[in-house]
Amino acid sequence: MEELYALWKQRIEERRPFQYIVGCEHWRDLVLSVQEGVLIPRPETELIVDMANEVILKDKEMKQGVWVDLGTGSGALAIGIGRLLGNEGRVIATDLSPIAASVAAFNVQRYNLQDVVEIRTGSWFEPLDEFKGKIVGLVSNPPYIPSGDITGLQAEVVRHEPKLALDGGANGLDDLLNICKGAASFLKAGGFFIFETNGAKQSKFLVDFLNIQMEGSFQYVNSVSDFAGIQRFVTGFRK
Amino acid sequence: MRSRRGLLLFLCRNGNWFVKYQTVQKCFHNHHHLLSSTTPKPCFPSSTNTTTLFNHRSYSTSGAAEMNPQISNDLIKIMENRLSAIEQRNNYLQNFMSQPEASPSEYSRANKELRKIRSSMELITQLRAKQKEIDGLKSLIAECPEDKDMHDMAVEEMDEAIEEENRIHNLLLKSLLPKDDADERDCILEVRAGTGGEEASLFAMEIFRMYERYSHKQGWKFEVVDVMESDLKGFKEASGAISGSGAFGRLKFESGTHRVQRVPLTEKAGRVHTSAVTVAILPQADEVDVQLRNEDLKIDTYRSGGSGGQHANTTNSAVRMTHIPTGLTVAIQDERSQHMNKAKALKVICAKLYELERSRLHTSRSKLRSEQIGSGDRSGRIRTYNFPQGRVTDHRVGITHHSIDDVMQGENLDVFIDGLLLKQEMDAIASFGSDE
Ligand SMILES: C[S@@+](CC[C@H](N)C(=O)[O-])C[C@H]1O[C@@H](n2cnc3c(N)ncnc32)[C@H](O)[C@@H]1O
Repeated sequence: MEELYALWKQRIEERRPFQYIVGCEHWRDLVLSVQEGVLIPRPETELIVDMANEVILKDKEMKQGVWVDLGTGSGALAIGIGRLLGNEGRVIATDLSPIAASVAAFNVQRYNLQDVVEIRTGSWFEPLDEFKGKIVGLVSNPPYIPSGDITGLQAEVVRHEPKLALDGGANGLDDLLNICKGAASFLKAGGFFIFETNGAKQSKFLVDFLNIQMEGSFQYVNSVSDFAGIQRFVTGFRK
Repeated sequence: MRSRRGLLLFLCRNGNWFVKYQTVQKCFHNHHHLLSSTTPKPCFPSSTNTTTLFNHRSYSTSGAAEMNPQISNDLIKIMENRLSAIEQRNNYLQNFMSQPEASPSEYSRANKELRKIRSSMELITQLRAKQKEIDGLKSLIAECPEDKDMHDMAVEEMDEAIEEENRIHNLLLKSLLPKDDADERDCILEVRAGTGGEEASLFAMEIFRMYERYSHKQGWKFEVVDVMESDLKGFKEASGAISGSGAFGRLKFESGTHRVQRVPLTEKAGRVHTSAVTVAILPQADEVDVQLRNEDLKIDTYRSGGSGGQHANTTNSAVRMTHIPTGLTVAIQDERSQHMNKAKALKVICAKLYELERSRLHTSRSKLRSEQIGSGDRSGRIRTYNFPQGRVTDHRVGITHHSIDDVMQGENLDVFIDGLLLKQEMDAIASFGSDE
């Protein structure tokens, strides 16, 4: 009883996220372990798996190739996509945070996907050298909050979730731009990408960046809205 | 043919085709003569505003199996145009489908169209082979006028080939005539007693049984769906489900008012009464399946208007789904993730649309019913069952059958049905020739 009261106090006074208290989050049809040090996966991000599924259903090559999830956190996207591939393709997921990497590995085990999803520790593409030009699908929900906005986030987020998972630099685009550049050299021709963004402003910026600054590398670049109508994602294909 | 007791004559008046049925007893010789006649005898007197579509024709109630009517040159010309159009389309589609740029939806559309013209294409291929053979024989005949044996043989073969060509032409004509998609469906029979009180109810029951027997003879399944009995165990209303190949196509012309003339059981003075029942034949819909298109769905979440994503932590995963074309909306919040709420919302929307579609079908069915039967007055009368004279007359084709008991036993309904189907075919041929 005392213990329960302590938890309650944490929830109310410290605004500790409910998911950290119970140690898990329901995401899509999954139950994922989470703990302090790992971002709690968001409902918006669920849509990335639906979009990946669309291209996987259309194209056998997509189902049989190598997918990459950059900054995998709890492993949500890697597991969601790994389950779409069956035993044909594979997913490599990276994260700089050792805690995230170990939680992700734990979740992969729970879903018995260790033969499909591999977790590597390191910064973005750094642990992926051997896959240069070979990736069929690239997904990422990197930190995208502008540094100045961090303190204004919901208390549960700012007080308990890792800064490493949230802070995207001055305009929030540091990591997204980094990943866009890497996508050009790591995706194979026809490869597909989906990135989550902070909303319309970042999405528009990225669409232009990919089309103009990186002219000739990508095609069918689009922004896609989430269910709240916010332009949340940027998708496209490597030329 | 031989087992039938009558002869159908086709008459064309003012551009409309009429089918006349004459009993064999009266014109047996004529009948025989027509079938075996070597000089083609026109059955269709051509009128000023209609070209003769067939040069000679001897149709029987059992269909034209034994002899193929010679199709007129006019009609062949029209048909040839259509055939080459179909051939071109076929080539185009084949070509299109072998191209890698075709999107999956274009591909399946093309495939569907190809499947639709496939049976015609098979016949066209046969026809082209025959025509080539005929050309070959023609030049053979032209080349060897002095070799008599050879010449005769070639002529004989050519006659056969021409007869075969004619047969294929006939099949093609049939395949090109517009078809009612519902013809192959199962159907619902509804019989209702009309004017005439108890007597009408008794007759309604007899008519219902007549179709039941007829269905069994056709090898169809007949299930009584619902019966509303009258005091004397007649049927005020009855419905049955008939399933079997082509059930709707054969029975569809039975819809309308059926009139009975006889001395009712309840009539003491022995006077002949006239009563009526209405019959409706409705095609059964295939299992309605609801097709949801992604672009027809709108999904909202109940978020407090914040920026979402990494900004917020939420445990509220409620989803509202709207089906835009119908405006149906469901909100689901009892599942644990947005994804699962969405999946459930989709199921609920599907079920609701299914219900909607079913009730829509139901209403369109009752609309169809009232169109078919008309207002139930004399003008909608399609057939008279006259017991004192022992005859049944169909007023649309002018066919009279003189053994009413056979008809009521479901025996000779085919006489009318075949006549009506032939009339439909004639109408279609007449308009086939005229729409070019
Ligand atoms: C917004 S979280 C997304 C987590 C998870 N993919 C999801 O959608 O729930 C961003 C993740 O990127 C990781 N990250 C931050 N900087 C990184 C870097 N330089 N290289 C790899 N991962 C990084 C963080 O540890 C964090 O797990």
